[in-house]
Parts: sequence; structure tokens; C-alpha cells
Amino acid sequence: MKKITYILLFASAFALTSCYEQKDQIHLRTEVRSDDLGNNIVTRPVAFAFSALIGEGIEINEAFTRINKGGFLELHINGFNRSQFTKKFKYRVEWLDQDGMLIQTKTSVWQRMSAMGKSPFSFKVVAPRREAVNFRMDTRKWE
Amino acid sequence: MKTGIFQIIALTGVLIAGCEQKTSYIDTMHDTGKAVMALDYRDFDQAASEMVQSMLASGALNKADGGRYVMTTGRIMNDTMQRIDTDQLMAKVEEELLNSGQVVMTSAVGGKGASDQMIYQTRDIRDSDVGDEFDSDTVAAKGQLIAPELSIAGKIFQRNIRYDNNRQQVEYYFQLQVTNLTNGLRFWQKETLIGKRGSNKSVAW
Repeated sequence: MKKITYILLFASAFALTSCYEQKDQIHLRTEVRSDDLGNNIVTRPVAFAFSALIGEGIEINEAFTRINKGGFLELHINGFNRSQFTKKFKYRVEWLDQDGMLIQTKTSVWQRMSAMGKSPFSFKVVAPRREAVNFRMDTRKWE
Repeated sequence: MKTGIFQIIALTGVLIAGCEQKTSYIDTMHDTGKAVMALDYRDFDQAASEMVQSMLASGALNKADGGRYVMTTGRIMNDTMQRIDTDQLMAKVEEELLNSGQVVMTSAVGGKGASDQMIYQTRDIRDSDVGDEFDSDTVAAKGQLIAPELSIAGKIFQRNIRYDNNRQQVEYYFQLQVTNLTNGLRFWQKETLIGKRGSNKSVAW
């Protein structure tokens, strides 16, 4: 019994480790990696159709700020494209001072971003003034 | 018969007026207009924004003593097939760099000469007979101008590629670099690519 428990624990740990590496650091995409039961030439069209049907899209998982070496606020965005399809979108970051007032800047323009299906994405935006202490971000479809 | 002709003329007038495209303002904040093959203001906005953010993030403009660098704009070449005033890019970059508090721009020297000719005109007055007409305390003395420490230069160029039978690909490259004029060392550089694909019939110049 003890032996079986050890084997199970070892197997679980091994499985978790290998999953972590593949999921977060190395991404073998569909049609590059080997097909499996859940993802193959038969199931893929169904998965794509279902993804479109339920309207999967972009989600932002993390938005954190830091002050860079020049004293400017930097915004780092980490997100994930839940859709099976590549999602193209635009984003615009506006900067706010300590009183919550909008800082007028020519760098607050719509920037283009693209994220491949079922993939994480990241981008960074830098405030052009040291007065910036906060931000607000807007997104829209990239036509 | 006469009434009939008048009616036809009036109807034609109404139809022509109805076909005329009304002039409207562009919503530059949220422009949803179609992309064009040539460079438009959105491309310059995007390129300038990326350039400024890269410069500020790099720390290349952080002066060791905490002061501000004196910067000038050198030569920005337009190597595209379009008639572009490169100030369309540089005015935005200069404005944002100035407002960042990292640099102060000089109008005394630049790739296109002094951006404000009055600097030299007032000095010409000082050195001419007319100079006697001015209060000497209000005329700029010699040795007052500050030389630039950094220069920003670069170019915009274009490549047209046949994509397939019906489409072309146009690539626009924006390249800028910041050089320390004292020692010639390059502090920063960046290239921004804006690519467009469209009909062969569209003209990218």
C-alpha cells in the first residue's frame, strides 16, 4: 500500500512538472505537436466552430505597474486569448496624475496588438510624464 | 413644354446634390476609417508613440547628474515615394520628449538649420548699424547659445512588394537614433515597421 502511494505521488509530481514546463514556457501549437484524442484533424473543426459560437475572446489576467529607471510609470499587461482564432485588437492607455486628471499626451493613441489562438500575450506601455501615477486602458476591435 | 424642361433641370439638380459627398471632420480620437495604402496621420501617431515610449523606457536620456540633455533634431530623410514633411513625425517626438522633462530642445541648430531663424536675425541686428537703435542690455550677447549634447536623426523608407496577382505589400520603416554629439556614441535606436497589403490599383504615393 505504502509502495503504491509513493509511486502515485512520484507519478503525480512528474506529471505536474512536465505539464508546467510545457504550458508556461514552451508552447507547441496544434499541427506542430502530435495530435491526440482531444485535438486532431476530426475534432479541430468542431473546436473552432464551438469557439466562434460561444464568442471566446481576449482576457486580461494581470495588469501591474512599476516605476522605471527614468522615473516613468510602466504598465505591463499579461493576457490570454481564449479563442481558437487569432484575435487582433487595438488598445489605448491614458495616464492620470495624482489628482485623477487626464495627462494630455500624443503617446495615448490606439496601438495594434495581435494574439494567436489559445495563447498568452503581453505588452508594455510607458507613461511619458513623471506625473503619471495611475492609468486607464480601453480596447476596441481592429478592423 | 417649358415647364417640363424646368422640372427636368430641377430634378437633375436635386439628384446631383444628393450624390455629392458631404465634408465631415475626422474623429481623430476614435477614427474607424479604413486603412489607406499611403502613410496617414494614424501611422505617424503610432510610430511616434512607439519611438517616444522606447526612448523613455531605455533610460538613454537619463543624465548622470539628474539634469536635462540639450537635444537637437538632425537630418530625417524621407526615402519613401510620398511627399512627406518629416516634421509630421518629429514634431510629435520632440513635443513628447520636451514634455517628459528628460531633454530640452535647441532651436539654434538642426538638420534643416535653425528651427527659429530669429535667433540669428537678432544677432545680425546686434552686429549691424541698426543695433545702435536697440537697448544693448536687451540684445543677446555673444557666447550665450548652448550647443546640443544629443542629436536625433533617422529616416523613413518604403518598400513595395508584389504580393500576388491582385495585391501589393507596402512596408514603411521608421528608423530613429540618438547620438551623443560629444563623443559620437549612439545611445539609442529603434525601427518601427508599418506594413500594409492592398489592391494593386491602390497607389502608395
